[in-house]
Parts: sequence; C-alpha cells; structure tokens
Amino acid sequence: MARRRKRRSQSDVELNLAAMLDMAFQLLTFFILTFRPAPVEGQISLRLPPPQAVVVAKNAQKAGADTSNTNPVQGVNTLTISVFADPQSGLIKSLGVGETQVSGMAALGGKLKEVFADPGNPFDQVIIQVSDSCRYDELMKVVDVCTRQVLPDGQKLSKLSFVEVPSG
Amino acid sequence: MAQLSQEVKAEPNLTPILDMVFQLITFFMLVINFKSAEMDLSIRLPVVGSARPVETHGQRGLLVLNIDQNGNLKNYGGIVQNVESYIAREAYASRLAAHINADDKEAAQDLPTTIVIRADRATSFKMINRVIKACQDNGFLKFTLKAMNKEA
Repeated sequence: MARRRKRRSQSDVELNLAAMLDMAFQLLTFFILTFRPAPVEGQISLRLPPPQAVVVAKNAQKAGADTSNTNPVQGVNTLTISVFADPQSGLIKSLGVGETQVSGMAALGGKLKEVFADPGNPFDQVIIQVSDSCRYDELMKVVDVCTRQVLPDGQKLSKLSFVEVPSG
Repeated sequence: MAQLSQEVKAEPNLTPILDMVFQLITFFMLVINFKSAEMDLSIRLPVVGSARPVETHGQRGLLVLNIDQNGNLKNYGGIVQNVESYIAREAYASRLAAHINADDKEAAQDLPTTIVIRADRATSFKMINRVIKACQDNGFLKFTLKAMNKEA
C-alpha cells in the first residue's frame, strides 16, 4: 500500500492543453469576425405629439369683449414654422416663422431667440410645416435650431409637431 | 545515438499562449455589441451640431427604425413591407409590457417605448412622416432622431 502511494505522488499529471487552445482559438475567431465597432452617433430627443390646432384659446373670450387686451396672441401656445423646399433637390427654398419670412438658419435662430426671450410669450410648442420633398438633413437643420431654444421656464424646447405640406 | 534523438519529445509550454488567447476572448466579449445588429450601418445619418451622445438612462424600451433613402423601413437588414401593421404590432407589445409592469402610471397616458429614427440624410420628409405618423397613431410620442455630431 505504501508503495502504491509513493508511486502515485511521483507521477505528474499532464493536461493536454492543445484541445483547449483549439477551442479558445475558435472562440477568438468568432469574436474577431463578428466585431463591428458601431460609429459614435448622437441623438436629438423630442416629444412629437400629433399636430393640433394652431391656435388654442385657453380662456375663450368673445372678440371685443375685453377692450383692455392689447396682446392679440394671448391664448396662442403653438408657434408655426414653415419650411418650403425645392421639389427637385429637396433643399430648403424659404423659411418662415408665423407670418414672417426669414432668410436662413441664422435668421431663423435669431427670430426664435427673440420670440422665446420674451417672458410673456405664450409658445410652448412648435409646429413645423414641411414640404413633402424636403430632405431629412435639411429638416434636421431646422430641428437643430428649434431644439437650441430655451423656454421661459428654463426647459429646452422639445415639443415639436410636423405637418406635411404638398410641394409644388 | 540515433535512437536517443528519436526519443526526444518537443513539448512546447502552451500555458502562456492560452492565457493570451483567453485575455483576447475576454476583451472581445466585453466590447461586443449585439445591439448594432439592429442598426443599418449603410444609412448615412445627417450631421447636426446639437446632437447629444446617446443616453439610455430612463429609457425603458427602444424601437429602432432604419429608413433608407428610398423610404424603405428596414429591420435587421430586411425591408418591412407593411409599415403600419409592423408598428401596430410593436405598439401592442409595448402596451402589454407596460400593463404587466403594474406600477407604470405613465403607460396609461402614452407608450413608454422610445422610437429611434435612423433615417438617411437624403430621405424625403414624406417618407419619414409616414413612419412618424404611423407611430403617433399607435400612441408613441417619445422620439429620438439619430444624427452624427460631425462628418465621419
């Protein structure tokens, strides 16, 4: 018995690592082949409710009932931006804020800043009327300008609605 | 002499190479991203300066919609033929998940799932609006528009 124990303790256990290495290489090959680093993408988070009526009178009042009211936009909480694009190229042809035409993105930004800087402004959401032919990247420039605006309560403007306008 | 040389066995020590391979496997396992399978990397996103890095904090479910420049809605490489029914199915699943989560009070108002729109920069608004409208009709209100911070 003592002899047997001696023999066992003396014998070396040799693991065959070749099979394990084969398997490890196969796993490595799989991971290398399936490795596709995704590009770093950004995002603009929005709340897009379905478009509603442009003018919402909060406290319905008959015209002329309040003679002291000098603010004709009282009760209006949606600002309309119009984006008209060229039907062929899809590039923006003209821009408008409400009834006012603006000449470009910088002017649009300036106008929106002016509107939202007014502490008494009633706008808390924006409806963007867009030509159906407008390219997505052109539209995103407008969305970019809109989402940079800060509401009087300090929140960033994130409530937008899109309305499709037939081009032509 | 010749007999002696035949008996010599070359047994390389495989332990270091196995260690290295396991380290490589660990690296690839950690960086692998199965979510990228749902993104169509052939889509050229628009470049928008104010696009923020992706934040998934607070977002409970994402539905990624890839729209190519022809207006086709793509899902895991395949084109979705019936967009409206596909989105309606997803809305049903989202609503069901929200109801299972009983403490989800927000679900009563609108669906908790965020729609992630990855559209090609050349896609016309008409095509994108079709998808957005289908989502809105089914109760999705939270949207995320994907864009690049700078030209790749």
